[in-house]
Parts: sequence; C-alpha cells; structure tokens
Amino acid sequence: MSKGILILVSLLSFSLQAFTQRDGDRNAVIRGTVKNEKGEPVEYASIYIKSTQSGTQSDAEGKFVLQVLPGAQTLCVQSLGHVTHEKQIDPKPHGRIDLEIQLEDSRHNLDEVVVEARGPVQRIRESSFNVIAVNAEALHHTSLDISHALDRVSGVKIRETGGMGSTSHVSLNGFSGRHVKIFMDGMPMESFGSSFRLNNIPVHVAERIEVYKGVVPIELGSDALGGAINIVTGQSRRTFVDVSYSYGSFNTHKSNISLGHTAKNGFFVRLNAYQNYSDNRYKVKTRLLDLETNGYSQEEHWFRRFHDNYHNEAAIVKAGVVRKPWADRLQVELTVSREKQDIQNANLMKIVYGGRERKAQSVVPALYYEKRNLFTEGLNLRISANYSLARNSNTDTLARQYNWQGEYRAKSFKGEGQYTMGEYDNRNASVSTGLSYRFNGRHLFSFNNLYGNFSRKATDAAANAETSTAATFMRRTNLKNVSGLSYRFEPSKRWNVSGFVKRYDVLVRGPINVSTTTTATYEEQKRDFGTTGYGIGATVFPVAEWQLKASLEKAFRLPSENELFGDESLETGDAGLKPENSLNLNVNISYEHTFGKAHSVYFDAGLIYRDTRDYIRRQIEQRYGGAFYTNHGRVRNLGADVEARYFYRKTFSAGGNFTIQDIRNMERYSAAGRKLIYYRDRMPNVPYMFGNVDANCNLNNCFGRGNVLSFGYNMRFIHSFFRDWESEGGDIIIPRQLSHDLSILYSIRDGRYSVAVEALNIADAILYDNYSLQKPGRSFLLKFRYFLYR
Amino acid sequence: MITKFKQSISARSLSILLCACSPLFFASCDKDDAPSEPEKQGAFFISATGESAQFILRVDDPETGEMSIANNVKTLELSGYTWIFNANPSVAVGLIYQQGDPGIGLGYVVAEDGSLHESGQFNITSRFTSYGFFDRYALTSVGGITPLDDAGNALTDDAGNERTDGVTFTIIDLKNNFALQEKTVTTLNITGNGGQATLSGIVDMGSGEFLTGLVVSQPKDPSQGGGSSSGAIAYPDSVWVAAFDANLNLKRIYRDDRISYSSGRFRSQYYSQIAKADDGSVYVFSGSYESTTTRPAGALRINKGAAAFDASYYFNIQEKTDGYKFRKVWHITGNYFLLELYNDLEPTATGAATQYGVVNVADKTFTWVTGIPAKDQITATGLPAPYNGKMYFPIAAEAADPAIYLIDPATAKATKGLSITGATSINAIGRLTQD
Repeated sequence: MSKGILILVSLLSFSLQAFTQRDGDRNAVIRGTVKNEKGEPVEYASIYIKSTQSGTQSDAEGKFVLQVLPGAQTLCVQSLGHVTHEKQIDPKPHGRIDLEIQLEDSRHNLDEVVVEARGPVQRIRESSFNVIAVNAEALHHTSLDISHALDRVSGVKIRETGGMGSTSHVSLNGFSGRHVKIFMDGMPMESFGSSFRLNNIPVHVAERIEVYKGVVPIELGSDALGGAINIVTGQSRRTFVDVSYSYGSFNTHKSNISLGHTAKNGFFVRLNAYQNYSDNRYKVKTRLLDLETNGYSQEEHWFRRFHDNYHNEAAIVKAGVVRKPWADRLQVELTVSREKQDIQNANLMKIVYGGRERKAQSVVPALYYEKRNLFTEGLNLRISANYSLARNSNTDTLARQYNWQGEYRAKSFKGEGQYTMGEYDNRNASVSTGLSYRFNGRHLFSFNNLYGNFSRKATDAAANAETSTAATFMRRTNLKNVSGLSYRFEPSKRWNVSGFVKRYDVLVRGPINVSTTTTATYEEQKRDFGTTGYGIGATVFPVAEWQLKASLEKAFRLPSENELFGDESLETGDAGLKPENSLNLNVNISYEHTFGKAHSVYFDAGLIYRDTRDYIRRQIEQRYGGAFYTNHGRVRNLGADVEARYFYRKTFSAGGNFTIQDIRNMERYSAAGRKLIYYRDRMPNVPYMFGNVDANCNLNNCFGRGNVLSFGYNMRFIHSFFRDWESEGGDIIIPRQLSHDLSILYSIRDGRYSVAVEALNIADAILYDNYSLQKPGRSFLLKFRYFLYR
Repeated sequence: MITKFKQSISARSLSILLCACSPLFFASCDKDDAPSEPEKQGAFFISATGESAQFILRVDDPETGEMSIANNVKTLELSGYTWIFNANPSVAVGLIYQQGDPGIGLGYVVAEDGSLHESGQFNITSRFTSYGFFDRYALTSVGGITPLDDAGNALTDDAGNERTDGVTFTIIDLKNNFALQEKTVTTLNITGNGGQATLSGIVDMGSGEFLTGLVVSQPKDPSQGGGSSSGAIAYPDSVWVAAFDANLNLKRIYRDDRISYSSGRFRSQYYSQIAKADDGSVYVFSGSYESTTTRPAGALRINKGAAAFDASYYFNIQEKTDGYKFRKVWHITGNYFLLELYNDLEPTATGAATQYGVVNVADKTFTWVTGIPAKDQITATGLPAPYNGKMYFPIAAEAADPAIYLIDPATAKATKGLSITGATSINAIGRLTQD
C-alpha cells in the first residue's frame, strides 16, 4: 500500500509544481466546439497550441476548454478522418475566446483507408499502457465470434476444445483462466454465465475490443493479474439496420440482427439479437471402443462426431436518452441468453458420450448513467450497474456406454459418466462508479470503484456426488470491492505520464467443516482479505510518427472463496494466504509513415516482463490428510510481440504479428522442500511462439460504382509445445499448428448488400489447441448481409 | 438370495477357466518366500508422480541408488492412476476414474526383452472405491448406486425415492486383453438387519469365492453429498464379511461383534482391511474408524475353508499401538502384516495417517516401524510390494526425494533403498515377471 501511495503522491506534487510554475495568473481561456461537415460534434479531437504542443481533447459534445498564455499563437485541431485545422489566435491576458470549429472530412485522403483498417485504435494506442484495440467493425462482414477475432491479436491465443460452443480459454502473454479478466463495457463478464461469453458472442456486437497486456487501467476494476480484455459494444448515435445470415459446413447456421435508432429529441433504442447453431459433425481421428470387451483399438480411425449439437440465442436491448441537461446518457439495458450443448467427449477424445448435455441461461438487466461537466467544467460522472442471474445445468442420465461409431450397449447403472441432473445458480450484482476531473487541460484525476456481490448455490445433490459434501449445497457469497485512483499529467501532446493505485477487498462467506469426528459438521463462517496495488505509465512522441511507451503494474489476484476456506471438507482454510502477485513491465515502440500518398506502413514492437509469484496452489499431503492451499511458485516471462502492416491505397493491405515468450519456472524447491528437477524449465502446456499473417485485396468499383470485391487470407501458426515439464521426461507434445483461411467478399452499394464465402482451414490440417482434443478440419461458410445506416 | 444381477458371465466358461487356473493360483501365493523359488525373469514397475504428470519407470534393483523421473518409460495421458499388481498372470493394472468422466484403464506386462509393455487399454465405466484380484480377474466395486430394472428404470423404495443400495462391480479379465464387464448387484437388507452395504476389499479365497467387507449403513441422505456411499451406521460394533462366487452370487455372510466393520475409510475410499496369510487363513482386521464404535481396532480370523469366524481367535491391536487406530493393511510375508495408523487417536474423514507398524498375527505382537521419516515429515506413501521376505515401501518426505524403503518384518526396521529424483511421490511399486 505505502509504496503505491508514495508514487502517487510524488506524481501529484510533481504535477502541482508544474502547474504553479507554468500557469501564471495571466492565462486566457479558449472555449470551443468541434463539429464535422454534417455539423455533428466530434469527440476526442485533439486541440493544442502548435508551438508548445500542450492541449486537450473534445468531449462527446465536441466541446473543449483550454487555458493558454496570452499572445499570438496557432491553435491546431486534429481528429482522425479529418483534415487538421489550424487557426491563428491572439488572446489578451485573462481574455476569453469562443470558437466553433468545423473539420473537413478527409474522405479523399489515404488516411481514411488507414483509419478504416485500424482507426478506432488510435485514441487507445496513445495511452501509455500496453494495449491493443481491435477494430471490430472492420470484421463485421465476417462470421467471426469475439474470441476468434481476439485470436488474431499479438500475444493472445484462444485455446478451444472443439467446434462451435466448445470450451475456450484465453491465453494472454502466458496468463490464462482466472488471471485474465474479461469485461464488457467496463463491467466484469465472469458472472454472465457460459451462454454469453467470448466464443459465442458474434463480432457484430462489438465496436472494438481492447486488450490490456499486463497493466490494466482503474476503469476496469478487478484483480486481473495478467491483463484484461474489454469488449466495447459502442454507443453509436447512428440509425442503422444490420441483418446477416450465414450457413456452413457441419450444418452451421448463424444469424444476427442489429437495429438502432436515435431520435432528434435524444431518445434512442438499440437491439442486437443473434443465434448460433451447429451440429459440429466434423471428423476426428481417435481410438475405437469395442463394446463387447470394453477395450480400445490399437489403431486410430476417423469418425464423424454424432452428439455435438450446439445452439445459442441471445438478445441485447438498450434504450435511453442522450444529450439531456441532467444526463449525457441514461440507458437501461437487458441481455438475455441461453445455450444448449451436447457433450460428445471427455477431456480425452477416445472417451465418448451419446447423451450427456449441458444447458445455460442468463438474464442481465443493467443501468448506465453518464453526466459530463457535473457541477463544474471537466468533472465527469459515470455509473454502471448490473445484476446477473445465470443458471447452468448438466444432465447425464443414460444407462449406456457409447463408442465412436455411435453404437451403444446398456449399462447396469445410470449415467455415462457421473449420474447427474445438477443445476447451479449464480447471482451477481455489480456497481461501477467512475469520476474524472480534467483540469486545465493537462491534469486528469480519475476515481473508479467496482463493487461486486456474487453468490452461488447448487440445487441438486446428485450433481457431483463424488466430490461434493453437504457443504456443496450451502450458500456461499463473495463480496468484492476494487477502488482505483489515478492521475494523468499531459503537459503537451508530445508526452504524458500517469500513475494509479488500486485497493482490493474481498469478503467471503461459506460453510466450513468444524467436526473433530468422522461425521462432518458444517457452519457458516466468513473471512476477509485486502491488498493494494499500483502502476505507472508514460508515453512520448519524440519525433513525428514515432511513439515510445513504458508501463508497470504491481498486479494482484485475490484468493477465491475456496482458497480462503480451503477444501470444504478440511477443518480450516488458510487465512494466512497471500494474493498471487505479478510485477508486469512493458516497453513499446511504434512507428507509422505514409510514402507518397499511396503507401503506408505501421510497425509496433513490445517487450514484456512478468515476474509472477505466490501462486495459490491446492496441495494434498498425507501428513495433513485433506487438501490445503499454499502460496508457492515463481514464474518469469520475458517476451516480445511484434506487429507490422503495409497498406497500398484502398486496394491492398498485408500484415502480421508474431509473439515469442520465454516463460520459465524460477522456483528451485517444491512447497514440500524438494529440489525441483524442472527449475528454469519452460512452462508446460502454454503456447510460447505463435503468430498470424493476413492479407486483403480489394477491387474497388468492381461491376459497378460502390461495389467492392475483396479477397482475404489469414494464417494462424503455433509452435509445438510440451504438455508437461520437459525435465520430468514428459513426452506428450501438442504438435505445431498451421492453418490457412481464405475469404471472398462482394459488397454492393457501399456495403449495403454483401455476400461472403469463407473457407477455414483449407489445407484440412489436424488441429489441436489442447492435448488429444481435435478441432474441426476444413469448413466453408456462406454469409449474406444487409447493412443500412444514416 | 438377496443379490440381483443385470448381466451374467458365462458360468460354464468361467468354471472351466477356474479349474485350469486354480493350481497356478496357489503357486502364486508362495511367491514371497522367494529364496526357495527359482528367480523368474522380471522387473519392478514403479509409478511415480511428477509436478505435471504421472509416469511409469522400470527398475531392476529398488534396494539401492537413485534414478531420475526423467528416465521414465512412459508419460501417462491421465494422472491419478491406482496401480495394483497380480502375480498370475503377472500384470500391472492401472485403474482410474475421473471426476464425472470414465477413465482409461491400463495393463502392463514385462515383455520378452525385459521391458515394460502396455498390453491393453480399456474403458473403466464405473467409479470405484474398492478393488482387488479374484482368480483371473481384477475387480472393482462402488456402492451407493441406484439399481435399475431390466427396462433400465430406477428401482424405488416404498416412498418412491430412488434406491441407492446397488453395488457396481467391474470385472476385468486379465487373460483376455483386459475385457471388462460391469454388473450391479443390490444389497438391501443384505445382513438381515436392514440397511444396505458398501463393499470394502476383494480377497480371493482360492476356492472360487472371494471375500469382501460389508460396511452396512442406512441409505445416505442425498443432501449429505460427499464421496462416501454410507449413511448412518446403525451397528458400529458389528463386523460382516460376505463371500461371493464368480457370478456374484452371495454364498454366505461371516458375522461377529468383537470388532467393528472391516474397512479403512478415507474420503470416498473404502480400503481393504482383509488379507490372507501364507497358510491360507484370512485375517479380517478392523481399524475401528467409526467414532461411535466401542470396539477397539483389532483382527479376527477365518480359517482356510471355514464358514464362520474362528471363535478362539481375537487380536486386540489397539491396546498395543498406544491407542492408535489404523487405516490400511498389507500382507508382507508369513504371518506378518504392515499397518498404516492414524496420526491422531480419534480419526476424522480426512485424518492424516502416516505412522506404520508391523503385526505378527500368530503371536499377536505389534512393532512400530523405525528407520523411516517421522510422521510429520511424510507427504505421501504408495502401494508397497512384498518381495524376498521384505516389504518395499514407497515414501515421500519433506525436503527429500521420494524413496523405496525396505522393511524387515521380523524387526520392523527399515532401510532406505532407491530414490526417484524429481518425483513428488511414488504411487506404487510392483514386481512383474514373464509368464
């Protein structure tokens, strides 16, 4: 705690000094509004004095306030997609100038091509954090879901266990699972249930996807040890209709309807509904079970999947008002979703099922309120709240044993695996409050608080009889509060620096076995836990077209309820646990340049360093009887992400990214004090070298003005990796993955109608993200889309 | 006739095989008295667990030296195997049942060149809480199963609730590529005293029957959850042992009330506390786990071929162990058995048990094992192997590589043998010979 506060305090005093020295009492005030050709306000335009590069940004209304020294000078207004506007001003001491600036669209300029391809990234890129923003709108003509869009980002790998609807995990610079937190519009998604998650939300729902590598801003309030992903659904004021349908291999159907309307009086409504369906009848190569003998064949054979139907439906409705004196935005929102999945196989492909299934549904009402310039100029308030109710159920009741030919024999007891009709309810309430104050154009103070109240309950005793106890069916709750305070100092457009502290607190309640005999007795107890983290970041534009960034965070993951309580059948958990912690350091350099109005290049290279300690691990030792949790382990990751891209007018673009990460165990001794044979080994079962290459070629005005024929190519590569520690002599390898996708898109009338054909994994490679769990082979998808907007 | 069958093995083929195998079986009982027997070509099979996976190692001499886990012969696809070893045919059987998923069972033999060879993979369809060998079969059992009628519908009790008195056996044929069948029998009122039973241990009588300990309880309250299949124990001061034939027909029940039930319980598991001495008499131990029992931990005897407990034999073990109760029992050689005792006088469901002692059931003596790590240092132990009159016992202790300790039963003194560097524990050791 104290370290973080010290840093913040020193940053504050530094900025105050700067403030007093530089800002005499003779300052003039420039107030203004930035609009585009249509007279609509332009948000996030940069307004600065040319000679000093000091400036500010416009708000959602296009408004800005800038304090300047008196005297003749040039005011610049810059915004992506517009021609930079320059204006001579000569304010008097204590004077005030009111301006209305209309920016000219740069539609005939090459810049716009670049903007379309990676434009919305810019504002985020200019932050000092190591963050990548994916322009999801550029992918709306594809059939991708969010996770597959993320899979193309450097440092990110999505690991799937099968086809549509299968389990998928995000691996972000080697972190995965509970170390990477997922948000939608700044609200944590972990309680939304499996029917509304990265790998079933189509990319249409997002305007952009932000990937924070290692250093997470306070606005995403969570204990993310290894980074965060934020899906921004966008608050477009446009009126639009977007309808699409696609059909593909394995009887796959996807459709999506998006409608939005904003009335002149500020009322708006937006609907986004989608559906995914697939039989996932792809072929897999595995061993066959002989139902007579229950033995497995020596040889592997090809089989078509026969019990892997998946469907998922969801709708998001938003309605509210914008641009009212009392609210810049007030919005109510409801997200409903459900899914049903047949379970075809266990975590080894040869173990096959014919009747197991899983269902999930969730309802998430939400509220959003935003008011800028509350009470005073530059003070903005934002409140988000949601309540999620998610229900998951698992069904395994068939008294049958199946094999991969789809044949079965009767068994003498119920359940292909564990007989269950279990249901679990998760409820979560979250409230996020953000307050920011921009002062004098150079100082930005922000405060964010996220409160989460999570509870879960199992409703069926047979759900997991082998591992459950009476305590499984008792309620447990988890209250979490994360507060963050940050300060950003931006004396000029050439550089800025920011620092933050975060306070994490958790309070869990749940059952604990207090028995001292052979019969368990449970009683509800509570435990609390808290810690403080901090981070800093800086960015500088030393010369035009170059940007340097550095950022650092001491990040924490708090112990979960199970970890604080120990295993429920153990007498005591370990209240002395420390949070898992990681020192995350990033350095980035980027460059962009346009040659002769036709050629443009972009390059970004980042170095990451992660020193992660005190992993919370479950141990079972005979001397203690039951399981217990302990802090143990140290892992160091030194990695590099590189991305490069080339554009030729609106016609051609090609690029790629490559990630290499050296993630090694730095712990010499085991928790039980044994010398570890795998000291300095590469972390097993984590991809450490991977990349993507893509190319896109557009034939503009093809068969008519405004019609475009596009050809796209995408390659995905992952180097092979060991499943287990190499020094232990593990010989199981997840082989190298190399797959190629092709697509052809024809769009008519500036994209109003389009038809696309996608061919995925055209070489029909056998692909695995996880040991033995084969993913689909070659597949095709045909997509129709109608898109209209005003 | 209380048991009920869903399937039946061909009785004729089984009886033919039983006749063919029984002489071999008796020969195998003497395998521990090795000095008098010609040494067979063979190797030790060791299963060791690393930080990320479970491995198989082949060892010629476990009495000395050290070996790295990296010199394993095989990385297993799944971790958590329970290994058991049969003498004839000489085979290692790896049993696994994952939480909620069936497991892949494995069979290993020694090939002609002396290497370890995976001789079969089979599908384990049922979870198990007890296991052992019977004739040419490896058997596993689990209680608390809802029995089905011929149409596949759950049998219900008078109140309409699904019954839970089924016991599902898996029967793995060691001489037919590990061909596996599973059968469910019912145990409602199996002893005539109400309740239902979970079975503990499989001990071959050598006469076409096997013995298993009965843990008789009320049906478990479904809301109680937990891995075990036992509800409230109405008669904690009684012991019942059932004899089943190869078709899983109940042949008889041995009953007594000098000891509590014969089973070592730990979480969901029911460890066998029945074992056979070299003279063919069967010793039924009771670790006296149940906190409500008034009977001390001890042992009774079933003489070879007898239909009842030997009324003249009673061994009060607990009075010789400073009051400690025990959880696991293994036969070493002759009349010697190795006991695993609880660390606390009053055991709990997850209570630690890392103390060891040797009993001689003939002269009713108990000796604490010495020369092994202290009880608060032991992080894991594995399935021991009796060989050359000694017990090869895998122990992992704090700040040391796990090792095989050689226990001399006559003195109960142990010496440290082979260490496996880089392993977190040794799960099992067994001797495999060429058939």
